[in-house]
Amino acid sequence: MYPTLLINSLTLLTLTILLTPIILPFLFKNFKNTPQVTTRAVKTAFLISLAPTTAFIYSGVESVACHWEWKFIMNFKIPLSLKMDQYSMTFLPIALFVTWSILQFAMWYMASEPYVTKFFTYLLTFLVAMLLLTTANNMFLLFVGWEGVGIMSFLLIGWWQGRADANTAALQAVIYNRIGDIGLILSMAWLASTFNTWEIQQAVHPHQTPILPLMGLILAAAGKSAQFGLHPWLPAAMEGPTPVSALLHSSTMVVAGIFLLIRMHPLLATNQTALTACLCLGALSTLFAATCALTQNDIKKIIAFSTSSQLGLMMVTIGLNLPQLAFLHISTHAFFKAMLFLCSGSIIHNLNGEQDIRKMGGLQKMLPVTTSCLTIGNLALMGTPFLAGFYSKDLIIESLNTSYLNTWALLLTLMATAFTATYSIRMTILVQAGQTRIPPMVSMNENNPLITAPLTRLALGSITAGMIITSFITPTKTPPMTMPLITKTAAILMTILGIVLALELSNMTHTLTHPKPNPLMNFSSALGYFNPLVHRFFSKNLLEKGQNIALHLIDLSWLKKMGPEGLAELQVAASKAATSMHTGLIKAYLGSFALSILVMILMTH
Amino acid sequence: MNPYATSIMTFSLILGTTITISSNHWVLAWTGLEINTLAIIPLIAKSHHPRAVEAATKYFLTQAAASALVLFSSMTNAWVTGQWDITQMNHPTSCLLLTAAIAIKLGLVPFHFWFPEVLQGSPLMTALLLSTLMKFPPLTLLLLTSKSLDPALLTAMALASTALGGWMGLNQTQTRKILAFSSISHLGWIAIILVYSPKLALLTFYLYTIMTSAVFLALNKIKALNLSMIMTSWTKTPVLNATLMLVLLSLAGLPPLTGFMPKWLIIQELTKQEMTPAAMAIAMLSLLSLFFYLRLAYHSTITLPPNSSNHMKQWYTSKTPSTPTAVLASLSILLLPLSPMMHAIV
Repeated sequence: MYPTLLINSLTLLTLTILLTPIILPFLFKNFKNTPQVTTRAVKTAFLISLAPTTAFIYSGVESVACHWEWKFIMNFKIPLSLKMDQYSMTFLPIALFVTWSILQFAMWYMASEPYVTKFFTYLLTFLVAMLLLTTANNMFLLFVGWEGVGIMSFLLIGWWQGRADANTAALQAVIYNRIGDIGLILSMAWLASTFNTWEIQQAVHPHQTPILPLMGLILAAAGKSAQFGLHPWLPAAMEGPTPVSALLHSSTMVVAGIFLLIRMHPLLATNQTALTACLCLGALSTLFAATCALTQNDIKKIIAFSTSSQLGLMMVTIGLNLPQLAFLHISTHAFFKAMLFLCSGSIIHNLNGEQDIRKMGGLQKMLPVTTSCLTIGNLALMGTPFLAGFYSKDLIIESLNTSYLNTWALLLTLMATAFTATYSIRMTILVQAGQTRIPPMVSMNENNPLITAPLTRLALGSITAGMIITSFITPTKTPPMTMPLITKTAAILMTILGIVLALELSNMTHTLTHPKPNPLMNFSSALGYFNPLVHRFFSKNLLEKGQNIALHLIDLSWLKKMGPEGLAELQVAASKAATSMHTGLIKAYLGSFALSILVMILMTH
Repeated sequence: MNPYATSIMTFSLILGTTITISSNHWVLAWTGLEINTLAIIPLIAKSHHPRAVEAATKYFLTQAAASALVLFSSMTNAWVTGQWDITQMNHPTSCLLLTAAIAIKLGLVPFHFWFPEVLQGSPLMTALLLSTLMKFPPLTLLLLTSKSLDPALLTAMALASTALGGWMGLNQTQTRKILAFSSISHLGWIAIILVYSPKLALLTFYLYTIMTSAVFLALNKIKALNLSMIMTSWTKTPVLNATLMLVLLSLAGLPPLTGFMPKWLIIQELTKQEMTPAAMAIAMLSLLSLFFYLRLAYHSTITLPPNSSNHMKQWYTSKTPSTPTAVLASLSILLLPLSPMMHAIV
């Protein structure tokens, strides 16, 4: 039986159900769009999306493409083409599951928000754009989705517009994303001019792909997925509400860059330079982010840097020429990262807005469900055997260790694995364990099912998702089967090293010695001094250049000096010179007459 | 001045001009030029003011030298070709000397130095005569010999005249000197087209005469010898000032006033003769004189001097009507639509 029609129709049904909260108010006058409606729509869409995914897995089909052409004017047809292959079919239910949980949580978290319906509509629009990006079969739709998630990210980060920090963070996000967009548009232009198409399947180069479009794609991914150099927007994006951080900046939007590289993988695979660039960029990003996370005191910032570090790890996997493994890490990472953010949201709201982990502690007894889920999430993040993160992360480290690649990248990634464990354990200990440091008059309450249901659901996902996904997806590249024992256990050993380090350091806090100012600690907590150096330099240069060109060059020089004022000066000079000739002495005049006549005669003969 | 003396001078001027323009023989032409020179000297030095006497002296010296040069050039031509006919000026050196001599008489660069000072020293009416009537006989001689003249020399002198008239006029506040340099500029326009179309040169000269006479007569009415006097004359003769502005803009060559006609036709003729760079140059150099015409027009009409408000309109003005001023001003403003007829008549 051909499952094409089934998969096609059910996926389109899922997408249409998602759009109902936005479209129905225009069709029916008395349709009230409330958060409950939106959450229910996403839940329905999730349940329905399981059907095409199951059909897809069961039938073993490679990919199904659904192609419309929107005939705009005479010769200009806009192709709308959706591709349902293993990536988009796996991503669809996962994204919908995570979004459903986040929306349910947001019903509690944003309950006191006056414009809560608009908030949910924004989240829904973002989700639609993201799904458009993942199911796009051509660069046109991908670009539409890309820009869509960028805009929604801007609107959602700056949700609390009255807060100056939020506006600055939103602006940072837009500018850094835009720099990445330059790379994407460059690649799109190159694709259009070389292959005469924007279809991704047709973009296959017989020999080595030139480096230019690949650098464009890597730049786009670096911008969207916060690799080193274009990373500051991700920690700054924590200014947005926690549901936004959970949805956009952990599970879905930030993986768009990596997803782009996964889609364009056939182009990338032919060029070893591009792969090495991905590898080194990813290794640098992961270590830098992990180092910065070590000394952060804001719980959301720790999780943001953790996201950044995991994105670097995904980039490393792309650099290893293993796109499927990167996608696996995307899928498993979505679960536990969203859960970590939701836990932090629950903690923050219960502590009346306290985000500093130095002011938390001993929450295990007060918020049992939340902190248990926090622990599960952290363990999954560290790659504890047989939780979700293990299936992807351990495979990545094993492939890293058994590949012929840059040693420096390998070392950085291993160090980052250790640091991951360190900051996760630090966060866990400071938030949950020990004596509590919260202000006394705080009443905590997590009895609301709107909190516990999403958290437990995501916890279930964090535990089982790895196993489920790997059971049903056939790997396209052979995983490494045999390796020395030390290589096999490298990941777990680094993690244990990190845990031991964290426990040892937290023991030191009991000894009450005054901490000395330490350059490494300063480097880490100042986020590598990147922000003050780069932000000031570039904006100042740009503004200065603008002033020079617009004011000095154009206004003063061309429009004043070259035009009226310069001309007037010349005439004044000529006038003065001529006046000084007219002395009034008749002898001089008559003499000049004689001289002129002489010159005239001599010149003509 | 004594009425007998005035009538003798005037009659001599008319006689001298008539003799020159109707002569066939070089000596007769020279005679007319000399009579003109001698007749106007007393008119310049009428007021016996040192500056007027100096102006008269400068005028006499330069004009005498010029007349001698005219005679010399005609003599060398007669020596070589054996005839004294004005239109048969065939010898090139004679032509060159004649061109130089007439340039001194007219006031073309580089022989123009005497002109502003003479004009500054003479009364306004005599200045009018010097600018218009006294240019007519030398111009006639050039017109009669135009086919033997050197075009390159004339073009060079014309461009230099327009340029120098423009640059020097920018730096003046005395109206007579300004009008002297405007005269030098216009002579440049006349000289550049002389070889290619003598009729057009004559037309330019006629229109220039009309416009300059209108300006001089208007300035004579308000006794304006410098810019500040023009500025404060609007209370006494408001309409005349407004008309003066239009006549000055006509001198500058702005359409739709009369002064546009000669410039337009000259540029057209020059372009037909493949002398486009020269046409462009002379047109651009006229922009310099436009500036000081505009300054004069601005001062006569547009700015208000710091009079107190009860001096705004005087109750007593000398309202002697002056027909020539009116007629000449009207002609210099409104003659452009008649350009086909003018072009055909001349």
